[in-house]
Amino acid sequence: MRILLVEDTKDVGEAIVGRLSRIGHAVDWELDGTAGMEVLGATSYDLVILDVMLPGMDGFSILSRLRARGSTTPVLILTARSRVEDRVDALDIGADDYLVKPFDFRELEARVRALMRRNSGEATNVLRCGDISIDRLTRMVRVGDCEVHLKRRELTLLEILSSRPGRVFGKDELLDRMFGHDEAPAPNAVELYIGRLRRKIDGARAQIVTVRGFGYQMVIDGPA
Amino acid sequence: MDRREPSLFIRLFALMSLVLAFGAAVLMTAAWYSARQAADQAYDRLLLGAAYQIADAIQIQDGQPEIELPVSAFELLALSDRDRIFYRVLDPAGHTMTGYERLDDPAAETATPVRAIVENAEFDGENVRVARVVRRFDDPQMRGDAIVIVAQTIEARRALARELTLRSFILVGAMGAIAIGGTIFAVRRALAPIGRLETAIRQRDPLDLTLVDVSTPRELAPFVAEINGFIKRLRGRVELMQQFIADAAHQLRTPLAALEAQTDLLSNDDVSPSTVKHLDRVRARTRQLSRLTNQLLSHAMVAHRERAVANSQVDLTELTRRALDEAIPDTLERDILVTLHAPPEPLIVSGDPVNLAEAVKNILDNAVRHGAPARITVRLLKKSNRAVIEVEDDGPGIPPEQWPRVVQRFGAPSSDGKGSGLGLSIAAEVLEAHGGALFFIEKGSFGFVVVMSLADEERKVA
Repeated sequence: MRILLVEDTKDVGEAIVGRLSRIGHAVDWELDGTAGMEVLGATSYDLVILDVMLPGMDGFSILSRLRARGSTTPVLILTARSRVEDRVDALDIGADDYLVKPFDFRELEARVRALMRRNSGEATNVLRCGDISIDRLTRMVRVGDCEVHLKRRELTLLEILSSRPGRVFGKDELLDRMFGHDEAPAPNAVELYIGRLRRKIDGARAQIVTVRGFGYQMVIDGPA
Repeated sequence: MDRREPSLFIRLFALMSLVLAFGAAVLMTAAWYSARQAADQAYDRLLLGAAYQIADAIQIQDGQPEIELPVSAFELLALSDRDRIFYRVLDPAGHTMTGYERLDDPAAETATPVRAIVENAEFDGENVRVARVVRRFDDPQMRGDAIVIVAQTIEARRALARELTLRSFILVGAMGAIAIGGTIFAVRRALAPIGRLETAIRQRDPLDLTLVDVSTPRELAPFVAEINGFIKRLRGRVELMQQFIADAAHQLRTPLAALEAQTDLLSNDDVSPSTVKHLDRVRARTRQLSRLTNQLLSHAMVAHRERAVANSQVDLTELTRRALDEAIPDTLERDILVTLHAPPEPLIVSGDPVNLAEAVKNILDNAVRHGAPARITVRLLKKSNRAVIEVEDDGPGIPPEQWPRVVQRFGAPSSDGKGSGLGLSIAAEVLEAHGGALFFIEKGSFGFVVVMSLADEERKVA
């Protein structure tokens, strides 16, 4: 996947490029806002990572222009600013996610993966399965009338299972779709996430059933 | 500023009233005095007239003085029907011809002969006005001065004086009332601009830093200019502070991000096990430093915003949802079940969304860091006009004896170096600034609840 990074702090940019390249992405790196904007006009990307404080043009302006042009490319904002100024929230002007510096690079990786996946997914934002509803855009999962906070990977697993209730998903297929080809997950990763997810949607009128020897399926309980 | 002075209106009104009262007193005294003068003059003429008539009635008959009292003289005096009249007529030899012997001659001791005098005296214990006239006889048989003394009680003249005085008093009183009414009106009109200025200042939001724009008379202009000068200076300070915090945030976080980035690059290279151990320590310390920086910045920001940012309508549910997303990192290794229970309708409070989010984030962060092995439950409730956010975790909680300390700045720096001891104090400060409160509930050994209680919108309006 093709990623554009606009970041003027070399030490940080270097590490981001390093980490994202290592998981198989092609990363273009621009050091100032004006150059970033130019590149965005010429090339299409799967994800844009923008720093806020940039020479030339700041990250918020780039984001606004991008959205004004009708682009739906996912944007992750990196900011070192404090919200002391009455600036708008990055999310309110169309960022898909944001991280406050300094951040954990594993956290960055998790968010990048989630954003890339979201774009390739279905058009509808809200997925329903029994009394579970999943809002892909806000990552809000509702079980009955209680909201459950899921980690991005748990959410992916829930999305996959809930998209086709009743269908049995093999362990390998789940591994593939959850981790992609670039990661080397532990052999019991699927079991681990299934276990966690079961606990988190406990009490829902839908449950994850193990089909011995095949995999897992989502089963919706009869109409209440 | 505790020294309260009476209002300008009362001052002006009191001073004007004092001047008016003094003027009225002078006028009334003068009126009373001249009324008495006028009454005396009028009645003295009658008294003298009567005395002259009596004096004219004295005749010399065969060398002897004789008198036949003229009725007309008494008719003249009878005009004042309430008064009694006394008289005495003395012949040139000094013998009383007729009348009261006891009526003394008011001019007895006077050496110089006077033709007519009128003066006050007392007769039979009553105040009287006495007239004395002299008639000179130059007859060969009788030579010398006959004296006529007529006295009259003073009822009528007093009554007249009273009546005249009363009329003047009524006039002065009426004038006084008009003057006081006019004073009230004039003072009120003149002080109206002060009232307008007061209203304009009173109605401002305390965090509003726009200049006061009220038209005022020249005398008040320096005050408005001074207030506006102060507002400008304050605005300058606020902007400076804001700029400082923003700069500090950027200047501190950027190298920290770089440090984190570089350690991230290092850890993936092949290094010896002992280097890995040191690297882990570096990473842990970097995170600790990052966290402390964030909390200090958060604290500065919260303190600044609470004095500089006006309140707006905040949906606590949405705010808490975002705070959850920020406070619970994806990379957290512990598997914590995080649930949010919120009423279906938005929970609106009046406040600063950024500071409130900071408070909620700090509470959640605290629960993640020090509590919750497996469960964090966030409940949003509406409790009798208060909006309440409860954050419950299944961790060990905070022992009650430490509760007062943990809400103070740097009150509870943890010994393991993980916490800066600022998180809960930031939340407590934000809540206090919002008229709310932060408190704790212990639920046996299975739960610890941090309760954030805020006045909700309806209560603010009421």
